[in-house]
Amino acid sequence: MSSIRINPFPMPDLLSALENLQQEQSTATLEMGTGSTINKPSDDPAGAAQLTLVNAASSQIDSYQQSIGSINSQLSTADSTLSSVVTVLQRAISLGVQGANGTLSDTDRSAIVDELSGIQSQLVSLANASYQGQYLFAGTAETQPFVVDPNAASGVSYKGNTGTNFVTIGNGYQVQVNVPGSQIFNGTGADVFQGIHDLIGALNANSGVPDAVTEVTNAYNYVTAQRVFYGNAMNQVQTQQTFLGIEKVSLSQQDNTVAGADMATVASQVTSDATAINATLDAIGSMPRTSLFDYLK
Amino acid sequence: MSTLFGTMSIATGALGAEQGALDATTNNVANVNTPGYSRLQPVLVENDPITMGSVTYGAGVSLEKLQSLRDPILQTRIQEETQQQGQLNAFVTAMQQAQVQFTTSSGDIGTEIANFFSSLSQLSTDPTSLASRQGVLTAAGNMATAFNNTANTLTQQRSSLDLQVSQDVSQVNVLTSQIASLNNQISQMQGVNQDASALVDQRDVLIGQLSSLIDVSTIQSDNGLTLTTSNGTALVVGGQSFALSTQTNASGMQDIYSQGSDITSKIASGELAGLLQVRDQTIPGLLSNLDTLAAGLANNLNTANALGYTLVQQPNGTLQAGGNLFVAPPASGQGAASTMAVAITDPSLIAASSDATASGSNGNVANLSAVQTQAVANGQTPTDYYSNIVYAAGNDVSNGSAELNSSQLILNQLQDQRGSISGVSLDEEASNMVQYQRAFDAAAQVVTTINDMLYTVINMGTLTG
Repeated sequence: MSSIRINPFPMPDLLSALENLQQEQSTATLEMGTGSTINKPSDDPAGAAQLTLVNAASSQIDSYQQSIGSINSQLSTADSTLSSVVTVLQRAISLGVQGANGTLSDTDRSAIVDELSGIQSQLVSLANASYQGQYLFAGTAETQPFVVDPNAASGVSYKGNTGTNFVTIGNGYQVQVNVPGSQIFNGTGADVFQGIHDLIGALNANSGVPDAVTEVTNAYNYVTAQRVFYGNAMNQVQTQQTFLGIEKVSLSQQDNTVAGADMATVASQVTSDATAINATLDAIGSMPRTSLFDYLK
Repeated sequence: MSTLFGTMSIATGALGAEQGALDATTNNVANVNTPGYSRLQPVLVENDPITMGSVTYGAGVSLEKLQSLRDPILQTRIQEETQQQGQLNAFVTAMQQAQVQFTTSSGDIGTEIANFFSSLSQLSTDPTSLASRQGVLTAAGNMATAFNNTANTLTQQRSSLDLQVSQDVSQVNVLTSQIASLNNQISQMQGVNQDASALVDQRDVLIGQLSSLIDVSTIQSDNGLTLTTSNGTALVVGGQSFALSTQTNASGMQDIYSQGSDITSKIASGELAGLLQVRDQTIPGLLSNLDTLAAGLANNLNTANALGYTLVQQPNGTLQAGGNLFVAPPASGQGAASTMAVAITDPSLIAASSDATASGSNGNVANLSAVQTQAVANGQTPTDYYSNIVYAAGNDVSNGSAELNSSQLILNQLQDQRGSISGVSLDEEASNMVQYQRAFDAAAQVVTTINDMLYTVINMGTLTG
């Protein structure tokens, strides 16, 4: 015979082509369902590895954002507490200025002293403020930081420590979250409790009142200066919050670039696979069911 | 001149030859769907002519034999490709199961590592909170469980591959003994010049099955067929088969032996090679990487925890230093992933503080968190190292699948080629049948004519008398 003899059984070829198409279609359908082109590592080994890294980075950003959320509340509680301290000290200064007036009667001065004693306890309670059970101004100690103590020169002694805590809110980015109470309230020559204590003493003795007022004013200035720390810290974490938001978007874009299924492409893949499957089935169906034998009569 | 009887015998010879040719067609049609069947072709030869005086007369036709159409070289190529395919198929199937462990999910190792470090982040904002501390312990437990589950699943898979190895070895033994007995029958038939093509076809089918299991080389010699593995281990020599056996090795897996020598590492292709590759190399490789990572994480986190102080106050008023957060991994690292476990149940034992006198300090959380960016395994961070494991698992499957596809394609082409030589075409058989039938009819007609002529000759005397 001169012509090339062909394989009289093309069926296995067609079946294997059909199998491949069906597999392709099922992959495309899965991609459409999950919206991801990587549904198992072998779909794109390098992409799957990159996805692991992107996911880890993204979950890290989530945790930075959570940390920022909780330290932000902590910082703003501390800040508003100090704002109250400042207001109270302002009142103490004006009371002191009032008391320095020589024309005041003893009764008037004693009324002022009463109010100042109230202010003193108010300040102690503000300095012992806490957030979710944690003292804000105890350094890293867990004890109540300021205790009324008749033996202390200022009438109040500090039981906290000078420790500070840092919280990580970005890769290699740590922010200090507290200032020890001693640093805020016990400034050298600007001690809040010493100032009030001395002012009360001066008013009772009716002497040296202006000096005591200066002392309280120094304390006022000092606390105001320390308060700036909290303002700055809140600014810092808010800026970082914004940055992390952007970072998160960029990571999800990266995620999408690595594994995002392009719906239009996938959908048309599913359709074209279906067409090819039908065509193959047609080819199988239209394979001659008759042979020359049927025509021999 | 020739005789009428001579002519008659030419015609009857032709009848026999055409009938024999028709036999071939019948057998071909009957076996149209028989796997491995090679079509028969009648070999018709002219008989030696007879010379009488100056005239040479033809002596008709004989059916010399029915020849089976096969291409031994193609058959060998098919066997080789079948072996390749068997290996790739076993490898890809096994690794597809293994890679499931490394698919990003809510509980895979990568996710649990990230969750653990997130829980530390939470702790840093509220270091004395027992809830945050419990959160860290839970996340640590989940991370350990992810390692345990992944390692255990891989180990189980290894055992089931081992079982498959034993089953394949028995299957190989069944096939080789069948092939040996066919060899015997074939050489006996050939010894008395009988056609053994039916048995040869059967043997080819069995060799094909054997090829999908193990690497087989065939050597055809005068005294029959010899089958060996590619490294020369005899499987079948003529009528004798050599059974493979298995023995449990030190790691509890079955090694394959042939006549007393270990050939496990010498099996180069076929399903057995694929199974052995995953069982002895790929899965142990993945397990050892997981062990390295688990041990690195546990050791570094333990070291970091020991740098800080717990919430527990000692009699002297200072805080107790941190101990192991995780059970210390085995020194060799082997089994670290499957045995990874949290060493403490009391959340206050997490050493968050860096100040022995202040439980509210979070200074040591930074040391614990730093492990995330430390080189814990092979100079890589935990996440980087893990992502490489994911890559390796995915890449094995992806490469294997690509090779499997191309091997399938080659095999299809070879089968096509085989089909074009050996396959039965019904159209061709029908046309052959018509041809042989017509020839038979014609020969029969010749016989009738000669018969008439003989009648004429026999009655010649009567006519003249």
